[in-house]
Amino acid sequence: MEPVDRKEELVRRVAVALRGREGGKAPPRTAVTPAGSLDGTVRVARFRERFEAQGGSFLEGPALESLLPVLGEALRLAGVTAILFPREDAEARLVAETLAPFGPFSLVSPAEARQPSAPGTAGVQTAEGAVAETGSIVQTSRGGKTLIPGLIVDVHVALLTPALFVDRLDDCLAPLLDDPPRNISFITGPSRTGDIEQTLTIGAHGPKKVIAVLLTSPSTGERRASP
Amino acid sequence: METRPHSFYRNSEKALADTALQAALSRATGKFAVARADSVAAFPGFEAAREQGSRIKAEALENLDRHLARFIAEASMRGAVVHVARDAAEARDIAARIAREEGVSLAIKSKSMAAEEVSLTPALEAAGVEVVESDLGEFIVQLAGEPPSHIIAPAVHKTREQVSRLFQEKLGEPYTEKIPELVRIACTHMREKFLAAGMGVTGANFLCADTGSVVLVTNEGNGRMGTILPRVHLVVAGIEKVIPRLADLPVFLRILPRSATGQTISTYVSVLTGTRRPGDPEGPERLHILLVDNGRTGILQGKYREILKCIRCGACLNICPVYQSVGGHAYGGVYPGPVGSVLTPLLNGLPEGAALPNASTLCGACAEVCPVKIPLPELLLELRGDERIQGLKTPTEILGMKGYAAVMSRAGILEALERLIGVVSRLFCKEGKVIWLPFKLSGWTDRRDFPAPAPQPFRKLWKKQRGIRPWNR
Repeated sequence: MEPVDRKEELVRRVAVALRGREGGKAPPRTAVTPAGSLDGTVRVARFRERFEAQGGSFLEGPALESLLPVLGEALRLAGVTAILFPREDAEARLVAETLAPFGPFSLVSPAEARQPSAPGTAGVQTAEGAVAETGSIVQTSRGGKTLIPGLIVDVHVALLTPALFVDRLDDCLAPLLDDPPRNISFITGPSRTGDIEQTLTIGAHGPKKVIAVLLTSPSTGERRASP
Repeated sequence: METRPHSFYRNSEKALADTALQAALSRATGKFAVARADSVAAFPGFEAAREQGSRIKAEALENLDRHLARFIAEASMRGAVVHVARDAAEARDIAARIAREEGVSLAIKSKSMAAEEVSLTPALEAAGVEVVESDLGEFIVQLAGEPPSHIIAPAVHKTREQVSRLFQEKLGEPYTEKIPELVRIACTHMREKFLAAGMGVTGANFLCADTGSVVLVTNEGNGRMGTILPRVHLVVAGIEKVIPRLADLPVFLRILPRSATGQTISTYVSVLTGTRRPGDPEGPERLHILLVDNGRTGILQGKYREILKCIRCGACLNICPVYQSVGGHAYGGVYPGPVGSVLTPLLNGLPEGAALPNASTLCGACAEVCPVKIPLPELLLELRGDERIQGLKTPTEILGMKGYAAVMSRAGILEALERLIGVVSRLFCKEGKVIWLPFKLSGWTDRRDFPAPAPQPFRKLWKKQRGIRPWNR
């Protein structure tokens, strides 16, 4: 570790460079988009439009049972043979266990999914937010949550309820500003690259497919409006 | 290509003669520019966000000492170890020492312009660390032993055929021209490295002073993996990356991806604050943040401060007619395009990068697309002035510019000269083109024909039609 004075020296050096400054006032933090006040249906519709524009898949239904066949088929088509879920995530566990016969899919732990030889895996996890402005799913490490289900899997399934949707990025960050968790991730569609001939290719290091599942009448637990 | 900025002219000649490069550049820069224009047109709030982003960055620089002090305090409080490098050599030493002390033998690295600027990878390799570039473009240029040629698309100069032959030679993979297959090969090769790496190395798009957070904006997912899976995370960032508040981030997320790739938002935005906490199942146990000065304090002090507002989107490259023609390697330095033409001479010294401020037509397109409103043409002109002051202009250039000024400020002389040129140029014309000019003027005609002057000068036509001289109206 550098001695503390090294950092102080940098700050002093910068202060000297700024000698004679005009006293720069902080710019007003007016929002570029109007303060979030979208109607709930519009908010979800906007999220869906932008999420799908980024290559995400969106499923919506009153309860899990109505979506299982479609979700199971989507996972099969993506070559999924195993599903992982965080142990502490009751809703994800319910979805994974209920979905298993539709493959059939085996259930694996996050540790197993980290093996280089892991088979085609889907990660199921309750999301902590959904941003209409950008079509982004929000996952954080708050409370010791794992990020593996959206990280080293082929398909990421994010579970959403209407209460999780916010209008803008600002609305999502606002409750986290005082004490941000170690990791806040905004995830907008599947991983991608354009590095060869600037030709868009879906599926790079991260998931090749991201499915947002909106349950309008979830079976377990209550969700908070923001992560 | 020579990797020295003063080789710009020689490099440009080679680049213009390279047909594969010309094809790759034309395809890539056009796609980026169109995607940006479409994305901006679809977002009515872009200009307001651009204005706000520009003001926030200006304020961040105006009070950088305070924001840096706050960032260092907040990041340290949350478990990060903050290091400071005065120059590139110090940055290399510190990074190598961190790797040694952390017992790292394999590092997985994301794209970082600051790391490139200080030549971090060779330093880590010299310290016995295997460094694997995980961004696909960086992976390709690492295999090829070349520097990146674009800020956000490092292998923009390579065709799929060249990439495939590279994978054949270096990875033993069968030849294919299918791009998804090439992507799959690279990602499969890197996956095991991600899982085994002891250290993730990244840059930072933004550093938030009030929370000590590091923000990464990526599309492939490599940055996310490299900051969650390895035990150690090393961030290398220039001191100008600090923004005052985490609450400012949404403004930049509205302008950066749109300006870079034309996306509403990049696939992954990670806000990383501190080390793994009790109960966290993953995340780095050790977080090192290496703040690099390397000449930035000097830039902050003077008339070029605004270049430090740059958020490295690459929009100025994609729109620049010079970059579109010669590509990134011609610039010789780490930063190509208009931003590089300003930044490289400032970081490396004007004598080293003297050609670069002249590598611009001053058309102004770069300033028009810059998401934080950096007046790039004005800065380029300032640098040209400094070249004169520092005695870096040749006597011929000085004489030429003096003559130009004398003629342009005297309408009568200009008119006489136009007539003279109209007559004399016929000696060098063939089929309506000037095909050859003598001495220094041959620079205009060596590689292209120059349009012949019109038979009658504009002034004469004007006078004939209106009966007055235009400057007397």
